[in-house]
Amino acid sequence: MSISIERENQTAVYEQIAQQIRERIAAGELGPGMALPTVRTLASDLGVNLNTVARAYRLLEEQGFLVIQDRSGVQVAAPAASLAPGDRNALMKELQELAARMRQAGFSMAELEAAWHSTLGVLDLEKRKR
Amino acid sequence: MMEVRWFSLGSLGLALLIGLFIAWMPRFTRRGLLFGVYVGEEAATGEQAAAIQRGWYRGMVASVGSAFILCLVLTLIADPRFPWGILALPIILFGQLVCYLRAYWAARPIAAVAPPAAVAALVPDPAPSSLLFQRLALVVGLVCGLIALIHASVCYNDLPARVPTHFGFSGKPDAWAPRSPGNVFALPLFSLLMGAGLGLLALFLARAKRSLRRNDRGVSLHAQLRFRSAISLFIAGMGILVAVMLAGLSIGSIEVGLGLSEQLPPWTTILSVLMLLFALAGSLFLAFRYGQGGARLERSADTQPLTNGLADNRNWILGSIYCNREDPAFFVEKRFGIGYTINFGNWRAVLVLIAVFLVLFGVTAVAVISSR
Repeated sequence: MSISIERENQTAVYEQIAQQIRERIAAGELGPGMALPTVRTLASDLGVNLNTVARAYRLLEEQGFLVIQDRSGVQVAAPAASLAPGDRNALMKELQELAARMRQAGFSMAELEAAWHSTLGVLDLEKRKR
Repeated sequence: MMEVRWFSLGSLGLALLIGLFIAWMPRFTRRGLLFGVYVGEEAATGEQAAAIQRGWYRGMVASVGSAFILCLVLTLIADPRFPWGILALPIILFGQLVCYLRAYWAARPIAAVAPPAAVAALVPDPAPSSLLFQRLALVVGLVCGLIALIHASVCYNDLPARVPTHFGFSGKPDAWAPRSPGNVFALPLFSLLMGAGLGLLALFLARAKRSLRRNDRGVSLHAQLRFRSAISLFIAGMGILVAVMLAGLSIGSIEVGLGLSEQLPPWTTILSVLMLLFALAGSLFLAFRYGQGGARLERSADTQPLTNGLADNRNWILGSIYCNREDPAFFVEKRFGIGYTINFGNWRAVLVLIAVFLVLFGVTAVAVISSR
């Protein structure tokens, strides 16, 4: 499992890294507790500044995707047990916005529904349902 | 005189082996690279690339052959007091430089122009738990060097005014110099520096930069990890042999100086031959079994593009000197040859390189000056 960076891409390098790690987590390739390379290893493999990788990891930590520990390095975080009301509203807004954008882009209601179900299937939400 | 002649012939044989090894280098570089230039995986197997390679082989055969014949003739007919065979290696290395530069300039016009993508594996570096042998090498290097240093310090005042500084093949001294700290402490210091230095190098190399291919299902990562671990173990093994041999030489020569022994212990000679064989066999094994950077292990996926540092022609000077300020890597894989080179864009790496040169130069200079 690898990530790649395109220098020609308009998106900032740290955002490219963060985005690809999020995609791997969403696709279920990176599960909770799995270790990621250290900042130094990833930066050296990609040939980018240490701060760039550190920034990507910090962003992912803020978004709840990663846990950064000094000793054992960087791990994929387990989904949070409870949700803050502020987060709930913000995320619901993002979801509504995304759904609206997809609808405007031409997704039919049936396609939207199918996309939603396949996404949830990857996250394996059934097992965690109360 | 016979002794010098045998030494000359031995050096000549060694130079021949090294020359053939160098000549053979294009066979184990990673696909896509041509004499320090990234030309892309397809062009690297094209007609133009083949012509440039033929030029290299012709040049190397000429340089190795002429060096061998010249030095062989000199050994057999010229002044028998001089070991002419030791001239072969410098001639071959000069020939290699000329052949390389010629091939490099010929390969430049077909260099890949588009900047490559950077690729990294999302798996943690599996180094820390498996570095036992490298750590052992560091400890052995330190212990041997310290034992030799302590032995030299304890014996220094008992040494006579003249101490042996050079030994013949039989292990008997054939040159003496006035006793001085430079004469007596150079060898144990050298043992400490080389042993500890090679141990540290092995540890560093175990974490060197990985240069992957794109969309190769992890084949290049696997090859890189195996190659890196093998070369790190090889350097650690060299470190142990060098440290033990130098410490043995230091202790043995002081014993001779003290009159406790007639000659160096025979095992130091055996160990130096063993070290030479280990270095040769190890390099050949690395090249045959793994290829540079694991080139021979990634054959199933080596049509996929190389990425990042190795493939980016903008960061390489003359195809051999890597300089990338953005890249925090200390050691990077060489484009041509076997092993790693440092990132000259990393100021820490440059500082370490300067420090190593200064220390080695300093110890040698002190030893040479004080032996006069």
